Order: sequence, then C-alpha cells, then structure tokens
Amino acid sequence: MHAFHIHYRNTQGTLMRILTAVSRRGLDMPYVQACADERGQRASLLLDVNTKQIGQLCRDWYAIVDVIEVKVGTPTAEMLDSAAGVLGAHPPASAGVIGKNASAAMA
Amino acid sequence: MLRGAEIFLQCLRAEDVDLVFGYPGGAIMPLYDALEGSGIRHVLTRHEQGAVFAAEGHARATGKVGVAIATSGPGATNLVTGIADAKMDSVPLVCITGQVRSSLIGTDAFQETDVFGLTLSLTKWSRLVKTIDEIPAVIAEAFYWAREGRPGPVVIDIPTDFLKAKMDFAGPVKFTPKPRPSDPAVEAAFGDKLISLLQKAERPVALIGAGAKLSGAISELRSLLDELNIPTFATVHGLGAVEPEAPYYLGMVGMHGTRAANMALHENDLLLVFGARLDDRVTGDPTRFAPHSKIVHFEIDPAQLDRVRACELPIVGDLAKTIPAFHKKVRDAKLPNWNEWRAVACGDDRAELDPRGLSQPTIRFLDELFGRLTQNSVVIADVGQHQMWAAQRYRSASPRGFITSGGLGSMGFALPAAVGVQLSKPDATVLCVSGDGGFQMNIQELATVRRLNLPIKMVIVDNKYLGMVRQWQQLFYQRNYAETDLSDNPDFVEIAKAYRINAVRVQEDVMREYPVTEDTADALERFLRSPEPELLVFDCAPEANVYPMVPAGAALSEMLFEEE
Repeated sequence: MHAFHIHYRNTQGTLMRILTAVSRRGLDMPYVQACADERGQRASLLLDVNTKQIGQLCRDWYAIVDVIEVKVGTPTAEMLDSAAGVLGAHPPASAGVIGKNASAAMA
Repeated sequence: MLRGAEIFLQCLRAEDVDLVFGYPGGAIMPLYDALEGSGIRHVLTRHEQGAVFAAEGHARATGKVGVAIATSGPGATNLVTGIADAKMDSVPLVCITGQVRSSLIGTDAFQETDVFGLTLSLTKWSRLVKTIDEIPAVIAEAFYWAREGRPGPVVIDIPTDFLKAKMDFAGPVKFTPKPRPSDPAVEAAFGDKLISLLQKAERPVALIGAGAKLSGAISELRSLLDELNIPTFATVHGLGAVEPEAPYYLGMVGMHGTRAANMALHENDLLLVFGARLDDRVTGDPTRFAPHSKIVHFEIDPAQLDRVRACELPIVGDLAKTIPAFHKKVRDAKLPNWNEWRAVACGDDRAELDPRGLSQPTIRFLDELFGRLTQNSVVIADVGQHQMWAAQRYRSASPRGFITSGGLGSMGFALPAAVGVQLSKPDATVLCVSGDGGFQMNIQELATVRRLNLPIKMVIVDNKYLGMVRQWQQLFYQRNYAETDLSDNPDFVEIAKAYRINAVRVQEDVMREYPVTEDTADALERFLRSPEPELLVFDCAPEANVYPMVPAGAALSEMLFEEE
C-alpha cells in the first residue's frame, strides 16, 4: 500500500481529474481525503499499486493543469485504519447485509 | 455594453481564430446570431462529428488551434469522439458547447447533458462558464492550454443566458499560468550522458514520432540525423519528419511497419526516441519490445515516459530546445563508426518483398496516385487497411503532408478532416483516402464539400468489407467473418452524383498491367488536376490483406508476410 498526496489548485474538475487517473485503471480507492491545507488543496489517496503504476500515476497527475505537486509516502495509521473495513470485503458489504435484505425483498 | 456572444467572438479573434466549424442549435443560438461581422468564418458541417474532425484537419494542417462549435445535449455528445481523437494525437482543439440556461443546470432540462463531466477525462482542461464576466479569462486560458506543451483538446461549456446577457467589455485578456515549484527542468548534463551511451552503442537507431513534428524542429532534427547517420524510422504520425530518400531511413515502424524498420527496432542496442508515445501498435508485445535496448526518450510530456519500458535516460522538454542541444554535443564528440550495422539494417536483404506492389492492385493504384502528387499535397487517410497501405506507400517530405487518426483510430475521420485541410490550404492538392466502411460514417459531409465547392479528391478503397477487421477474422478467428460483410453497400457513384459531385468507379484489373496504360494514366491525371471535387471508387479485392503484419501480442520481429 502506498499513500499519495497531491497538492492542487481547487479549480473546476481538478479533483475529479485526479480521481479519474485512478479509476480508469480499475484501481480500488480504499481511502480518499480531500481538504484544504497551507498550500491550497490536498488530495490524499491510499492505493495498492506496483512500482510501474506509481510512476504512471504520478506522471498522469502531474500532467493535470492545476496539480502543483505529487508526493508518494508510507500510509499513516489513520489511513490504514480507515481503509481496513473496505479492504476486507470485495465486493464491499453488499455480499453480506445488503444481499440478505435484497433476498428478503425479493421473497 | 456588449452581449456575451459578441464578447466571446471578439476574444476568439484575439486568439487568431478566423475559421470555425460547427452546427447550430438551441443553446448556442446567441453565438450564431452574433457571427455576422465578427471577422470569423463559420463553416456549417452536416453533423457535429464532421465539425470537430474538420477543426482537427485545420489544426493538423496548419498547427493553429482548431475550433468546433455545437449546441448542448446531443450536439455536445456528438463532439466527444473528436475530442478523444485530439487528445490521443496531440491536436490543439477548442470545443465550444452551448449549455442550458444557468438556472436550469442540473434539472435534466431539455437538451441538457453534463458536458463538463463527460469530457473530463478526454480534455487537458475545461470550464463550465459561471458568469458573463469570466468569458474573456476563460477563452484566454482555454487557448493557452490547448497550445501549451503537448497540445490537446479543451472544452468551454457556456450557458445560453450568459451569451445573451450584456456587460461592459474592456477587451480580451492574456492568460499567464502560475508557476509550479516542481516543474522538471531539462537536465543540463543530459548531453554528456547521451554521448557516453552513443559511444558505447554498437547498434543505435532513432525512432521519430509526432512530437518531433509538433515541436517545429524538423530542420534541426534532419540535420542531427544526417550527422548521426544511424538507421531511422517513424511512427505513423512521425511520417514526413524525415526526408524519405535519406539513405538511413527505413520507413514506418510498428504493426504494419516495414520489415527493415521492425527488425532494426528489435535488434538495436540503443534506441533514441524523439517525441513518440511508444504505444502498443509501435511496440508489439511490450515484454519483448527492443529486448537489447537502452532507451533515451526525448519527450515534452512526462506522462508518456516509462509507460511500456523504463528508459535509461529521459529527456523531458521541448524538442525544439533539446534536439539542438544534443546536436551541438554530437558535433563536438567522437562517435564510433556504425557503417557495418547500418549496412545490415538498411541492406537489400531487408527490402520490401514486393517493392512495386505488383501482386496487390490496390497498392499499385495508390502508388500511381501518390506518384502524381506534388510536394504541395496533403494525403488524409481514414482508418483501416487503406490507411496502412497509404502510410506504407506515401512518401511525403512534408511534416504536415500525411494526416490520419492514428491514436484513436476513428473511422469517418478522413472526409471531414479533408474539408478542414482544404479550407486551410486552398492551393494544395488534398487527397482523401477512405474505405467503404469509414466513408459511410461521415458521408453526409459530401454536402459540405459541394456547398463550399472544395476540390477535394476523394478515393474509396471499396472491398465491400470492414477490411481490417475481416483481415483479423481471417488470420486469428478462423475466417469467421462475423458482421464485416458490406457487400450490400450503396452505389457510391450514384450517391456522389446525388450530391452533384463527379464520380467514377475503377476496377482493380486496370492496375494489373505495369506500367499502367496511357488511358489509365490520363484518367488519374484528370482526377487529380480537376478544379472540382471528385470521387473515385476503387474496387479492391475483398480478401486483400495488409502486410507485413505483427500479430497482436507478438514481438516486432515476428512479422507475417504475404507469402505465408
């Protein structure tokens, strides 16, 4: 797991472009946080990617007009804790509780 | 006080726009209402996809920014293929879409679509205009990003009420980008590292892509290549960057590249890449791509580096700067003698098996046409077998002499693109080569050709199949020609006549004689020199194939040839 911190100017669509670079590769995003920081806006993502994908993602993000800087690091405990529930189930949750509810509704 | 539409058009003029392509509709009507007297010529196509491809043709032929206009909803969605096409092929393009009134956005109003959202991943930059005040700044920024660095498409989505509203207008503005602290600088010492790699190389080669042409550094590149004198080849978009008669030039590389180019790309030990993305049509199986190579990648867009293979030396920057810097180093360096390697790579053993195309009448036909073109000509190819034949056979020395949809491979591209090219280059011979499948995808643009009386020379290579798909079905799907049979095609000659365009059908048998008869030669001359639009339908053998061919997933050295 790798943590990515993308600093960007909060212009129309920039956050969506950042996320689209991930979703177009079919990668799960177990942790995403976007917030203001001292340098503008920051998106933090936790992704399970290999070295080649890290390079590709960083370059794709950097090609976005309003991205200022991209950093890769070790995930914080908070990121891993938040992601823990999501990482376990795939497909998420629906196989359990929601599935039962759906079955009940159909019955 | 000016209306938003008038301000919009004045800002376009300030960006040197004098020609736009489009199709009107409800939400964009105020802009059309203001067109007269704006100094901007609007060309009405018969479909929005025709407009965006025509704008691309204009941009590709001139290097200027192409502009396409459409209304909201279906008008905007019809632009999407062209936007994706421009993204893949690095074409500077500004698409302007009308949007429903700002108060209706998000209500699923009539002809409302989320144009901003649906084009997000296809554009370099986009804006939904939120007030009339920001029109000048949005236009300035849009054109900046369309042109800047690796060119590409941008979208401006403007609600109709802002086009109608009025405000005081102080004039167009300029956009200045905010600097980024971590913009990569060209490493000053790259030249020394590169010379060192060259000095150790035994089998160096050069691969030329579209970026070399987009940089405008063609004369510098040619001068560098003359000095290096190493085997050189080009991607489909790099064609025309290298003087085709240069003794070290091996032609096109990739899935349908020449035998010599593919073998040299497979065998080299140092690969100099100038502005190419190294996509799968160029590399073949990426795990077996250039297995002995160290790669040096000259590239303006860092996002293109290391996509297929890690490169030994990335050189990020405008090739207009990095090529001259490299050339200076080459002049001062003592480099090895690569005569032996060049003799192998460029030798007769690797020449084309059938250089005159005698076994393939369509190739003969294209050779006969191309051989009659002057340097002031542009060939526009659609997508499919005819595209690859044209890329293999047309040897233009002009960087903008061969235009095609290479990255996205959009069938239906050629005819509307030819409209944009002919309008940009009224004195050029514009030859549009399509297949029978692709031609029908934008056949309605015959009306645009007729309306403007554009002397475009249109060729349909008619094999009554979706030829390239059929070729794959033949070779890799046991001849299961599922849904590729187009033998119920309409009579293209009669269709052209209905548009009041001259048309003729030529049987492939006339190309079996070498040289062609005087009558055939005269007919081709008349076709090319006519001041009118002309259509020539060439009957192609249904099962003619494009060779060489590197099967998907194979290495470049594993080409299939005709005799196999």
